[in-house]
Amino acid sequence: MTTAAGLFQVPWSDYRSDLLDALLKTLSYTAVSFAGAALLGLAVALLRLSRVWPLRALAAVYTELFKNIPLLAIIFLTYFGLGSVDIRLDVFTAGCLSLIVFYSAYLSEIFRAAISGIHDGQTEAGEALGLSRLSVFGHVVFPQALRLALPGTNTMLVDLLKGTSLLVTISAAELMSEARLITSSTFRALEVYLVISALYFALCYPLSQLLLALERAIRAGKPLTPRRRRRLRTARALLAETPALAETPALADTPSPKEATA
Amino acid sequence: MTTDAVVRITALGKSFDGRRVLDDVSLDVPRGRIVSVIGQSGGGKTTLLRCVNLLERPDSGTIEVAGETVHSDGRTVCRDLARLRRTVGMVFQRFHLFPHLTAVENVMLAQVKAGVPERTALERAVVLLRRVGLAHRGLAHPDQMSGGEQQRVAIARALALKPEVLLFDEPTSSLDPEATREVLRVMRELAREGMTMMLVTHELPFAREVSDWVAFVDGGRIIEAGPPADVLGRPQQARTRAFLTTYESTAVVGA
Repeated sequence: MTTAAGLFQVPWSDYRSDLLDALLKTLSYTAVSFAGAALLGLAVALLRLSRVWPLRALAAVYTELFKNIPLLAIIFLTYFGLGSVDIRLDVFTAGCLSLIVFYSAYLSEIFRAAISGIHDGQTEAGEALGLSRLSVFGHVVFPQALRLALPGTNTMLVDLLKGTSLLVTISAAELMSEARLITSSTFRALEVYLVISALYFALCYPLSQLLLALERAIRAGKPLTPRRRRRLRTARALLAETPALAETPALADTPSPKEATA
Repeated sequence: MTTDAVVRITALGKSFDGRRVLDDVSLDVPRGRIVSVIGQSGGGKTTLLRCVNLLERPDSGTIEVAGETVHSDGRTVCRDLARLRRTVGMVFQRFHLFPHLTAVENVMLAQVKAGVPERTALERAVVLLRRVGLAHRGLAHPDQMSGGEQQRVAIARALALKPEVLLFDEPTSSLDPEATREVLRVMRELAREGMTMMLVTHELPFAREVSDWVAFVDGGRIIEAGPPADVLGRPQQARTRAFLTTYESTAVVGA
């Protein structure tokens, strides 16, 4: 019998539906936690850029605190720690909460750097055009900051997906917990953990490639929403038209100058 | 009250960290006229200009725009800041186009946010780009355009909301001579069409050519003001003469 045949002896077809459930669980943890961490991270970043110093201080304490505690400790604190003082969270809530708290600290640093990397002139140009503060942020600062933040954010997303494996410690029914279950019933640790690692790789590698492609598309200024695609298509058509003569004197409501600008 | 000054600045004062950058400055920009502010860098010209659309808040004095008091004695009395800024267009030295948007979207954005329907805003943006000679660059992003092209898009952007007055903050100071010519050509065109403009510039020959009124600012005060032929041709004040002499001796090449 060859080594390879000797290595793979677990009846994987028996575990197919369990593995699929575990995989979906990993993805749910990732999606919910990343969405939460991104929102909270953005809020913390904005607080850190606030003009009010107590808010800045609060945000700084939050970031430094959770950046400097191991994720595993945060998981134990939220699940076992809070549980011991009668704040009992279910596994999914505790797991997501831990990941959100931990990753939002990192994301807030990435977002803060990105937002403060946008030149003040951009805000001023927006204000000078009569945009509201919210519009300046939403249409001028945020889209540019997003471009700067994307590479770091993408790294964090992949890291978070892998980070869900630590939830094995609270039996979160995700991939790593499933791996432990299969191992304990088959005693084939090498084979099981190789397969599970391959599964993580199969999730993470395409994800990071996809995110890289997204980064490139955004950097190239490609329209990502159907609305912007439509707008640019109409613009292209209008720009290509030969101007009607009546259109030319549109600058001010005054008669047309004799000659046109070159 | 009876004159139709689009911008009326009265006894303006402003300090930064105890340093007086504007001191009792009064200046009118009548409708359809072009007023140039000249002077050394750091003399307060740009601060004065930035007070008009309240990017900078003065400590004292009054600013009126289109007949409405917007700032008085260190207090903003303008209720609708957005509306003020739509009345006053601004062109910056460093263009400050939005780099994530194409030229045509740069010109559209403020219109859409002001409630202009998307299609109308787009059509107007295209017309404006055509007017500054850049219809063929409408779908380019700012980093794909030359400085001169960027500044012309910035002018189109400032015109998009049909402002009553345009502010220019050293619009050609970061441009090479060729790009400067392109931008000045567009500005000359605007002047001919009767656009009201307030212009901070180092291009003295241009200021002399297009302006109806020139103010020489130094140390936060207006030292001398009047028709360009007087201020630039027969300056009365020693400081104005000194400035013009320095300018001539350093600007030989550009002429």
